[in-house]
Amino acid sequence: MQPEKFFYDNKIVRNFGIATVIWGIAGMSIGLLIAIQLYFPGANMHNQYTTFGRIRPLHTNAVIFAFVGNAIFMGVYYSLQRLLKARMFSDTLSAIHFWGWQLIIISALITLPLGITTSHEYAELEWPIDIAITIIWVVFGINMFGTIIKRRERHLYVAIWFYIATFVTIAVLHIVNSVEIPVTFWKSYMVYAGVQDALVQWWYGHNAVAFFLTTPYLGMMYYFLPKMANRPIYSYKLSILHFWALIFIYIWAGPHHLLYSTLPGWAQSLGVAFSIMLIAPSWGGMINGLLTLRGAWDKVRDDVVLKFMVVGLTAYGMATFEGPMLSLKQINAIAHFSDWIIAHVHVGALGWNGFLTFAILYWLIPRIYKTKLYSKKLASFHFWIGTLGILFYVIPLYWAGFTQGLMLKEFTSEGILKYSFLETVLRIVPMWVTRSLGGGMYLTGVIIMAYNLTRTALQGKLQANEPAQAMALEPVATIVRENSWHRRLERRPIQFMIAALLVILIGSFVELMPTLTIASNIPTIASVKPYTPLELQGRDIYIREGCLGCHSQTIRPFRSETERYGEYSKAGEFVYDHPFLWGSERKGPDLARIGGKYPNAWHFNHLMDPRLMSPGSIMPDYDWLISQDLDTTTTIAKINAMRKIGVPYPAGYEKVANRDLDIQAKTISADLATNHIKVSSRKEIIAITAYLQRLGQDIKANKTASK
Amino acid sequence: MFDQFVKNVSGEQMYLIFSLWIFLVFFVVVSFLLFITKKQHTDRMSELPLEDGVLNQPKFIES
Repeated sequence: MQPEKFFYDNKIVRNFGIATVIWGIAGMSIGLLIAIQLYFPGANMHNQYTTFGRIRPLHTNAVIFAFVGNAIFMGVYYSLQRLLKARMFSDTLSAIHFWGWQLIIISALITLPLGITTSHEYAELEWPIDIAITIIWVVFGINMFGTIIKRRERHLYVAIWFYIATFVTIAVLHIVNSVEIPVTFWKSYMVYAGVQDALVQWWYGHNAVAFFLTTPYLGMMYYFLPKMANRPIYSYKLSILHFWALIFIYIWAGPHHLLYSTLPGWAQSLGVAFSIMLIAPSWGGMINGLLTLRGAWDKVRDDVVLKFMVVGLTAYGMATFEGPMLSLKQINAIAHFSDWIIAHVHVGALGWNGFLTFAILYWLIPRIYKTKLYSKKLASFHFWIGTLGILFYVIPLYWAGFTQGLMLKEFTSEGILKYSFLETVLRIVPMWVTRSLGGGMYLTGVIIMAYNLTRTALQGKLQANEPAQAMALEPVATIVRENSWHRRLERRPIQFMIAALLVILIGSFVELMPTLTIASNIPTIASVKPYTPLELQGRDIYIREGCLGCHSQTIRPFRSETERYGEYSKAGEFVYDHPFLWGSERKGPDLARIGGKYPNAWHFNHLMDPRLMSPGSIMPDYDWLISQDLDTTTTIAKINAMRKIGVPYPAGYEKVANRDLDIQAKTISADLATNHIKVSSRKEIIAITAYLQRLGQDIKANKTASK
Repeated sequence: MFDQFVKNVSGEQMYLIFSLWIFLVFFVVVSFLLFITKKQHTDRMSELPLEDGVLNQPKFIES
């Protein structure tokens, strides 16, 4: 039998590679801008569209879905073809996938600064874009499975298992976390409320890290590291155990993001237990990668690509050790809401995702352009400035997180809180300055890489269709009976996908279903009532401005928190919160009980210029809220949508909602006038003031009863 | 000690125990499958990335 000749598609790999570099620089630049805004609020250029709350999600979306996302597709399209010895199933689908994904990124670039957001972290894009993501993801899936079906290699290599698990799990996560009811074309409400919404969001959020930032990169590690080191993976058996254990355990660990919250205790314990177990498969993968370099460490000394891989794998090991550690309740009590978490995330993002991406780019671009890398010296400089950038980024943030976490818990000998929240913030400003220096160094390295790769491409010529040959796939009938069940599974892609799906669904069902379906898990509180129309509009402004990027709305049951913020949060307080707004960071104090703490005039002055009321505050001015009119044309649609998802507004209330809104707004406006503040009742600042004044008021009524 | 733990465990904590049992069974099954997998097969599979079938690779590009 003669081998068949065919061509690999390198053009699609090149396109995703270019997109990776461009979006990487864009996403990291936005990250640097928001890092500077933390100690220099004026860096928002006094513009609502470039203010921290609105562009923080743009940074996270850009680096996760644009930089890492394009890098994943670059790596998958390159390795999948070669592992299966087949060209991609359809060049047209490849092109639709590429351009569709870029359009989704551009839509994020437009909508997020405009404040169009669901507020679900890492899933902020509104429902029309959610639908577009689903369609493009399916296109990717069809193209991937089409290629698998027409393959010339019978058994699927472990890298492809990780790609399959990524595809199927991201599909499940995206769909479940995007169940929302449209209000207008650019506004929707989550169907889940409060605790349930929080559980779904962090089941998604944690597993977005697992199945978007981890599993596809592990797949790429299993392909590219052997290629780069020119030796097979250390242990293929370990890779099998790594794969199944990792995808099984990861899906359960989400609740460790909600420790000490109002989530049922058993779900929190479940998250902790599985988080600790997660260290075993994670380190199994890291060790498998590092041991692949056994006998080749002399190459690491000379080869910058391998240097990037080694630091990337080490960062993966550090992040996956730290993750379980942070899920221990005692450590979480200090670290949660602090910069420690930001440091942890960036060890993974900058070290693991970033460095693996750079290694693959440096290895792959010269190969598809059939040339040498333009400058090894520049690549080496990139490696060192990138490594130093990571250190300058994370060490100050660990320091900041630990400092602030402990300061917030400190009492004087008289038993009162030793530090105000603002004092703890001002203490860590120098760490933030150093962090932005580290980020700047890291970004400089990426820009140098872009130059180096551009010069590399210019000196070579893209081999868009790379010739290859392989024997045709032998008919199934000729296969000698395979005794191993797993070996048989390795040549059945559809059954493999179903097996992976079942594995991730087990954890998802056990964890999610009781909280979503058993009423006793969410005890209700009789005094908790739906928001008034004005408060509802104000809440949507709070969401638009991304206030939850800095302010939490959940008080943990610690004396240090109840003394500072008030009574700890109860599950029943959030039953009408579509979506929940607990947040994950505290750059400012918790707001769960802010209602009634200060007069309306204080909120007006504070939003106009925070430093008037809190000297030294790092919060930006929100003066546009004073000049912009509240859009009340959406009130009817919002009341109707809320009623559909279970908020008990009376029938027909939507018809009189704007009348009530107007009455409440005029009351606040009149109160401000008594403090010599003249502002129209139609302005947005009135609505957000109404919302802030409502927070925590229901529980103060102290009339608890079970429904 | 174990008896004491089992008697004191509350209803909802059974979710936790049940989940850990599911994982243990799963882990044992996968380990058993690994045990019976032949070395010849794993050796063949681990070589796959090194055989991409590319023709006419320039000499300056190391394989």
